[in-house]
Amino acid sequence: MNFNKDTNQAYLYIAPAVILVSLICIYPIIRTFIMSFTDNDGLNPANFIGFDNYIKLFLDPNYIIPIKNTIIWTVLATVFPVAIGFLFAYSIQFLPRSNFFQILIYIPATVSAAAAGVLFGFILDKSGLFNQVLALIGFEHLNRDWLFRAPENTYSMIGAYTWQATGINMMIFLVGLQGLPKEPMEAAKIDGAKGFTLIFKIVIPMIMPYFVIASLLALINSFRIFDSVWVMTMGGPGRYSETLAVTMYREGFIIFDLGYAAAVAVLISLVGLVFSYYYLKSVLTKEDVS
Amino acid sequence: MNYKTKEKINLTVGYIGMIIVVMAWIYPVFFLIVNANKTASEYSKGDKTEIIFGTAFIDNAIKAWNKGIGDGVLNSLIYGFCGSSLAVIFAFLAAFGIVRLKMKNGLLWFLLIYSGTVFPFQMYLLPLFEAYVAIGIYNTKFGLILMYVSICIPFATFVLRGFFLTVPWELQELAKIEGASNLQILYKIMMPLAKAPLLLVFLIQFTWIWNDLLFGMVLSRSTSVRPVTSALVGMQNLYAQMDGPTILMATVMASIPTLVIFLLLQRHFIRGLTLGSMGTGKG
Repeated sequence: MNFNKDTNQAYLYIAPAVILVSLICIYPIIRTFIMSFTDNDGLNPANFIGFDNYIKLFLDPNYIIPIKNTIIWTVLATVFPVAIGFLFAYSIQFLPRSNFFQILIYIPATVSAAAAGVLFGFILDKSGLFNQVLALIGFEHLNRDWLFRAPENTYSMIGAYTWQATGINMMIFLVGLQGLPKEPMEAAKIDGAKGFTLIFKIVIPMIMPYFVIASLLALINSFRIFDSVWVMTMGGPGRYSETLAVTMYREGFIIFDLGYAAAVAVLISLVGLVFSYYYLKSVLTKEDVS
Repeated sequence: MNYKTKEKINLTVGYIGMIIVVMAWIYPVFFLIVNANKTASEYSKGDKTEIIFGTAFIDNAIKAWNKGIGDGVLNSLIYGFCGSSLAVIFAFLAAFGIVRLKMKNGLLWFLLIYSGTVFPFQMYLLPLFEAYVAIGIYNTKFGLILMYVSICIPFATFVLRGFFLTVPWELQELAKIEGASNLQILYKIMMPLAKAPLLLVFLIQFTWIWNDLLFGMVLSRSTSVRPVTSALVGMQNLYAQMDGPTILMATVMASIPTLVIFLLLQRHFIRGLTLGSMGTGKG
């Protein structure tokens, strides 16, 4: 009986959280999904138009660019931060005072994407730091307006993003490397394994679960990249550096084609949910093990 | 002996190599700080690689503060404190109800709350904007706090549920026998035990709110409401009317709180980050 009273009381305890999450998170998700099948423009009554928005997304040549950019982002902004994060973690663990290196390397990751974007706007400017450093070391002929020319701007922004996104991956790998048993490494070293052989044959297979977690996390974040692009180029010039998340914002809040923006949001979510599913699965199994 | 010497040389070479790499890595931060202290003409005419210790620190700081970043910093402090602390309180209550009061279908209720953080934020924007305009809380501090609180609840509930699962049941049963109410158990027994996770979640969510740009852009417009990130981007877009060092100084100001939080937490961050980083766990 006491038990029943508690379970009834429990509804009061979860009520604020459930109500707020339902109103601010779950309701919009459902509404966006419905909106994606309409021609809602924020002014006139919306009509259901079936899959037209989705068809438009794949057929209109204008949207090839954001789709292509998003794929480039997803691949490179996963590979670089994860690979460099691993290299940092692997190298500093051997060094004395690794904690000091760790803090320094992580500092860019504490800065918001907006702040990092503004900073790199200055660095990649035509008369900015990057061009001056290039000139200083004799590569003046490479100087250009890094953020105002496609496709250089997408790659430049991925570089800036990598700078910021690497820290978290290094932290994940440091946790993984610390948990490694020392014996297999010692044994391999005695057998003469060195450098890259040691890394690829021994270390990476042993911390594979951490690679999976880091990569999925990076995939989730890079597929929906918005802040960095918006702050550095706004998707421009024209729409040459636009990603799908920028397209969604532009269609929804500048052009007011809400139905179409909703379809882009749903597309981002469908792909994102696949990554999220595997991510949660690997994180939760990891938790159970440890 | 020979082997040991070789090891030592390797380590020294590696150490020096790493110092060079790390210096290059944080060079942009160095560039930011040095140039935020230059005067406008020192910056625009000068060599960007040149290290001069500028004298314009106070001038630039005052200009940056008055021309937009000040309002943004104060607004984001409000959003960070209110949003994060309310989210932690509601999540603490919810996790307690689900786990410690042995709620029927507790896992389903948890998943309902947690589902708020699984979808990309693009799914929230259009209906929130629409609804906020319709009920008149668009471009208000209340509207932004409401959104930040709600959006931080799922991750906070996730972590705190994990905490409640680890607390021994004997404590609770003993208190029950002595006639304590659930609210007393929550306040007098659980709260002191939960200090560390509560603080951790608070700081992680504070960082997330501080760094958010997207929701601030969509749900606010005026300088008296917009958060620090929107304020910074707004200053950048007015570059023509504002000099480089002032904007760089604003960037420094916008970055200090999250840097301080990281230095305070350091390694404790990781657990939270890896668990929640797909949602509001990541900065």
